[in-house]
Amino acid sequence: MINIKNLHKSFGDLKVLKGIDLSIEAGQVVCIIGPSGSGKSTVLRCINRLEELTSGQIVVDGYDLYAAGTDINYVRTEAGMVFQQFNLFPHMTVLKNVTLGPIKVRGMSKAEASKLGEELLKKVDLADKAKNYPDQLSGGQKQRVAIARSLALKPKVILFDEPTSALDPELVGEVLEVMKTLAREGMTMVVVTHEMEFAREVADRVIFIDKGVIQVDGPPAEVFDSSKNPRLNDFLGKVGHQQ
Amino acid sequence: MAFKFEPDVMVETFPLLLSGVKLTIIITFCGLLIGFVIGVLCGLMKLSKNPLIGKLAGTYVEIIRGTPLIVQVMFLYFGIPMASGLRIPPMTAGVIAIAVNSGAYIAEIVRGAVQSIDYGQREAGRSIGLTQTQTMLYIIWPQAFRRMIPPLGNQFIISLKDTSLLVVIGVAELTRVGQEIIAVNFRAFEVWLTVGLVYLMMTLTISRVLKTIENRIERRGAR
Repeated sequence: MINIKNLHKSFGDLKVLKGIDLSIEAGQVVCIIGPSGSGKSTVLRCINRLEELTSGQIVVDGYDLYAAGTDINYVRTEAGMVFQQFNLFPHMTVLKNVTLGPIKVRGMSKAEASKLGEELLKKVDLADKAKNYPDQLSGGQKQRVAIARSLALKPKVILFDEPTSALDPELVGEVLEVMKTLAREGMTMVVVTHEMEFAREVADRVIFIDKGVIQVDGPPAEVFDSSKNPRLNDFLGKVGHQQ
Repeated sequence: MAFKFEPDVMVETFPLLLSGVKLTIIITFCGLLIGFVIGVLCGLMKLSKNPLIGKLAGTYVEIIRGTPLIVQVMFLYFGIPMASGLRIPPMTAGVIAIAVNSGAYIAEIVRGAVQSIDYGQREAGRSIGLTQTQTMLYIIWPQAFRRMIPPLGNQFIISLKDTSLLVVIGVAELTRVGQEIIAVNFRAFEVWLTVGLVYLMMTLTISRVLKTIENRIERRGAR
């Protein structure tokens, strides 16, 4: 599904990613953890080509993202993105936020898109908010709308960039619940997160990135309970996840 | 002889000014309409990734912003015909001058408003597969336009007052009409007072309308 080969990314003189190799199968839920500034969000953003990479190759569903001639607008619809700051469109209703992509990108009729939008809002338990505007929603509700918005394009994979980091603690649960449902339904997901419990419970694989390289890659039990990597153990200690 | 204020002159002057008011309004509207088109175009050009296009718009803005409008008006009306042999009617020259002048300021308003929209909005638009143009059209522009309204209103008022400078090329707008009345009755105090009040009435009306629009937008929040 996603194949990353020798990915390097620099911002000016700052080398953020120093050779990432990663292969993700369809249906897998992969959680990426690591200290801030480690490059984990950058990896995710490269998969949606929100960053230009310095060198390397990323293939998503058979499309070489950074090759000349790749229709990047099309490939982006194959990989949905959920942002830390939600990035809902404030001038549109909740329903319009969800249906904009299907209408403008997929060429769906308004009626068809509305039907799809309402279904998706029901799925994230926000059917009653369709006519509201984003500024009338809580953070957790906003993030659930954002998930519905990315689902509307029927992507093959959804990329979550710290989806609960901007939320009040009591709102984190409702967003994680929706993500768990998606995981159970077999959606391929790549999640950059600080929610270690979520990673342990839901992920098929946990990847620890530090200093621009993948330090540890394995099933959650292995990563959280029996890793010998001193950096990982130091990180887990700092975030309060003791073995 | 002591000065004696004659309010009757003001009452008599007022209806005579109306033809000037009409012309002032027409020039302001036409000038700003074209100026808005120029401004949007140049504002977006300034945001272009192509440095040449950006420079082009930037140079225009710098030249217009850096020279007095009255010099621009006289150059347009007296200077250009001398070089090209092409005479521009004063009214047309007036509209062009206001358009070109306001266009430079509106370009900056547009650029600022578009840049003020959070970058995450652009990324969200792109991530659902919208093209760059669609993202601008459906996501960025509607939000940016709301932010343009107060400074555009300000520009409206400035341009309206700026039309008075067209007096130097003989356009029969409000200020010119006032001048002509004084040439006949020599009542500078009453006539200029009346002319000033008429400008104030127009600008206050614009302010009022703007306030209403802004309030309406504010009540609807960010939408």
